[in-house]
Amino acid sequence: MAPPRSDLPQGTLDLLILQVVALGPIHGYGIAQRLQQISRDVLQVQQGSLYPALHRLENRGYLAASWKPSDTGRDAKFYRLTTKGRAQLKQETANWARLAEAVQLVLQAAGGGAR
Amino acid sequence: MSGWRRLWRRTELDRQLEAELQDHLDRLTADYVRTGLPEVEARRRAQLEFGGLEQMKEASRDVRGFSLLDDLARDTRHALRSLGRSPGFAVVAILTLAVGIGTNTAIFSLVNAVRAGAVPYEASDRLVLLWGNVRQPQVARRGASLPDFLDWRAQSSSFEDLAAFDGQQMTLLGGDEPERITVEFVSPSYFPLLRTTTRLGRTFAAGEDLLSSPTPVVVIGDGLWKRRYGSDPRVVGQSIALGGGPFRDYTIVGVMPPGFRGLTDTAELWLPFSQWAPVDTMHDRGARGFPVLARLRHGVGITVAQDELHRLSGLLAETYADTNANRSVEVARLDAELFQGLRPALRTLMLAVALVLGIACVNVANLSMTRLAGRQRDTAVRRALGATRARLLRQLVTESCVLAAIGAACGLVIARMVVPALVAWSPIAFPSFVTPSLDWRVALFTTVVSLLCGVSLGLVPGLQPHALRLVDALKDAARMGAGRSTRRLRDGLTIAEIALAIVLLVAAGLLIRSVRNLAALDLGFDPDTTLAVFVSVPRETAGLDGPPRPVVGISALLERLETLPGVTAASVSSDLPFDGRSSAQFFVVEGQPPVDPQDRPRAYQHRVSPAFFRTLGIPLVRGRTFAEQELTRTPTVVVVSEGLARRFWPGGDPIGQRLRLGSDWLTIIGVAGDVRYRRLRQGPDVDPDVYLPWGDSNQHLAIALRATGPPASLAAATRAAIRDVDRSIAISRIAPMRELSVRQASPARFLMWLMGAFAVMALFLAAIGIYGVVSYLVSQRTSEIGVRMALGADRRAVRRLMLRQSAWPIAIGLAVGLGGAMAVGPLLQSQLFGVAAFDLATLVGVAALFGSVAMLASYVPARRATRIDPLSAIRTE
Repeated sequence: MAPPRSDLPQGTLDLLILQVVALGPIHGYGIAQRLQQISRDVLQVQQGSLYPALHRLENRGYLAASWKPSDTGRDAKFYRLTTKGRAQLKQETANWARLAEAVQLVLQAAGGGAR
Repeated sequence: MSGWRRLWRRTELDRQLEAELQDHLDRLTADYVRTGLPEVEARRRAQLEFGGLEQMKEASRDVRGFSLLDDLARDTRHALRSLGRSPGFAVVAILTLAVGIGTNTAIFSLVNAVRAGAVPYEASDRLVLLWGNVRQPQVARRGASLPDFLDWRAQSSSFEDLAAFDGQQMTLLGGDEPERITVEFVSPSYFPLLRTTTRLGRTFAAGEDLLSSPTPVVVIGDGLWKRRYGSDPRVVGQSIALGGGPFRDYTIVGVMPPGFRGLTDTAELWLPFSQWAPVDTMHDRGARGFPVLARLRHGVGITVAQDELHRLSGLLAETYADTNANRSVEVARLDAELFQGLRPALRTLMLAVALVLGIACVNVANLSMTRLAGRQRDTAVRRALGATRARLLRQLVTESCVLAAIGAACGLVIARMVVPALVAWSPIAFPSFVTPSLDWRVALFTTVVSLLCGVSLGLVPGLQPHALRLVDALKDAARMGAGRSTRRLRDGLTIAEIALAIVLLVAAGLLIRSVRNLAALDLGFDPDTTLAVFVSVPRETAGLDGPPRPVVGISALLERLETLPGVTAASVSSDLPFDGRSSAQFFVVEGQPPVDPQDRPRAYQHRVSPAFFRTLGIPLVRGRTFAEQELTRTPTVVVVSEGLARRFWPGGDPIGQRLRLGSDWLTIIGVAGDVRYRRLRQGPDVDPDVYLPWGDSNQHLAIALRATGPPASLAAATRAAIRDVDRSIAISRIAPMRELSVRQASPARFLMWLMGAFAVMALFLAAIGIYGVVSYLVSQRTSEIGVRMALGADRRAVRRLMLRQSAWPIAIGLAVGLGGAMAVGPLLQSQLFGVAAFDLATLVGVAALFGSVAMLASYVPARRATRIDPLSAIRTE
């Protein structure tokens, strides 16, 4: 049986995409695969929302794209992070860490009370 | 990248998007193949996992940000296709909108043509006219006198400069025939104030406008230059002969450029202002009668100038109490003066066409609601396939915008045809420089109006709570139109449509009554049997230069005219009713206590030959008309109007009493019936008329002929007879008296015809609207009616059921409309005559007319309901 899969919290897909792309130029399919692998199949990216998100990030100037030859022999669209995207990633990561920490704190405090 | 470039690159981006998604799909398939699945199965799995390719493309396009433009193009194509599928709806909607938008465009282009900026002089927003006013007790315009004008000019600081001017008629001599032309007496500053100058020669020098040394110089207009001098460039310095001024021969010093006709808009020749009147009149501070043109200094507002002139007239009133008490100066914007008569009428019409457009829109909204209800299944399918509500709404709005755009295009064509006709037929003349055109302002107006129509036409049906909602669409597919909120919206639209139509009908009804009242008005004379002939005679014939002469010349002419077949009487007079010539003078009645100089009674005086009363059919209530020997230059007897007699001798006999007019004491020998001389609409305390014997000292004569047949048929014979008697007589105009009096009613008539046309349109549209709604309700309830009839309901009961549905909105619409008409009525007040803005007869008549039309419009489809065959009606379910 496949492990239970979690839906992504609202707004985190962009952060994850930026993080994956930060590792080096990569095409859309690669991003989907990489996300699934890294999260050990916990995070299943809805294919339907990946491309709109990619294009949104490209539109905002966080990602730049170019068509390059790929392993299949055909050209694929490779995305890479822009300077603006790198700054955005840094900021979003910090935001996320703060949020996660806060959630963790609340959970601990509440759990302590229940014990 | 600009939106347009993106749009242009749309196909390229789309191609890339497709390649990218395809690449993804291929890789996914390849991965499945690697796990050992056969190629076909792998591809199927990949497609299943990947989801709808089209939806994803759509979502990505939305992200790209140019989807609005992109969708617009696609929606427009879709809208055109979908409209093409229901051509009946499309044609009706487009025609309705074309009429609505077209009439609005037409009237707006007229409004636009008389906007402030349309005045053809440079920086015309700083041009004003100054009017000398008197308060007694209402404020009336009197104009300026030369001493007043000189004081204003010397003592005010608000203006760059001031110029006196006045238009008059003079006779141009020296051609084949004497010709009456409009001339303007103007100060030398007139031309620089209007920022214009001659094309040849020069305008007047200051030294040519002196009372002490009048100089016979003129500037001529381009028309006259071409007509009389064949555009001769050496015309400057030549002499030109004029009748009616202090000189006979004048020297041409300049020629004006084409298109310049002065502020009178008809002038062909200009003279120095100092020759406007005899020298003693010019020195008289009380002899007021001309407007003054002025240009405000840069940065000086009109209120500042007005305040300054108020102060100045206060000072003048102190210094010259006898002539200047209660006098003030009114500063009026030039554009307001030039477009005075047109603007209120156009405002009324603009309101009327706005109502027509409102009705047109309501009709189209009703139609598209019906259409939307019919497309419910289509909506359901599209929602199910992932279209959002907003997206479908956008589609609806695009569709109605396409309708409105096509309607507007047709409307522009209508406006193009209608506008020149309106200008040509308008009884209130448009100034010659006004050429209504479909310029950018009109285009902008039309665009905005049609956009508003399009958007609201799409939003109103689309925003019903049930429209476009997936669940409702599926559940209630066929019967959505019967929903409660839909019913309410539909009823609301019907009510609005009816109310708007009622307002227009009431306005038209009031105007029709006014025009009938005007036509039926007793003028005090007989306008249908009288021909008016206006002529000018040379000074010699008029006997202005020599000693008083017996009236040989004119009486010979009258005798000759009386012998014409079809003529029963002929008279000569200084003026005739409605010719706009008569002037008023103060008078004193013998034996009356002295009155405040500002309250002195005034009377309009007319010099008339003995046959005048008989010729015009004015009854002599008492006494007699003049005798031959009483026709002298300095009169001793007078015939007064009934109004004057009533005022000073109520119940008594005025015959034998005396009054003083100017310096002459006159004995009253007769009382003539009251005549409406100047206005059809006159106040109760209008200045009375007095008749003095014809003294033959007038250059400009009004001849009246009493005809047995239609007066107009005498025109040719009259013209020939006059030419036969004396070739030096210039005929300026021949017209039946009815034509002169009708002219006063023609603005009201014109407005009536237009308003009537709009009201008929409104009635027609409203009837179509009601018909459409009831038809629709019948079609919606076909099966229900079938069941009812199968269960035994008779035809009358079914008909009543259908009628009752539409009766309420009609009744409410009627009530709202009548209320609205009463609210709008006061706006019309100034255009009405002899009928109150709240006229019960009109309201009742309109309600009855509209009620019956509405009943007919709903009866016809309701009757169709009774023809339903119960069996087939039930089977359709």
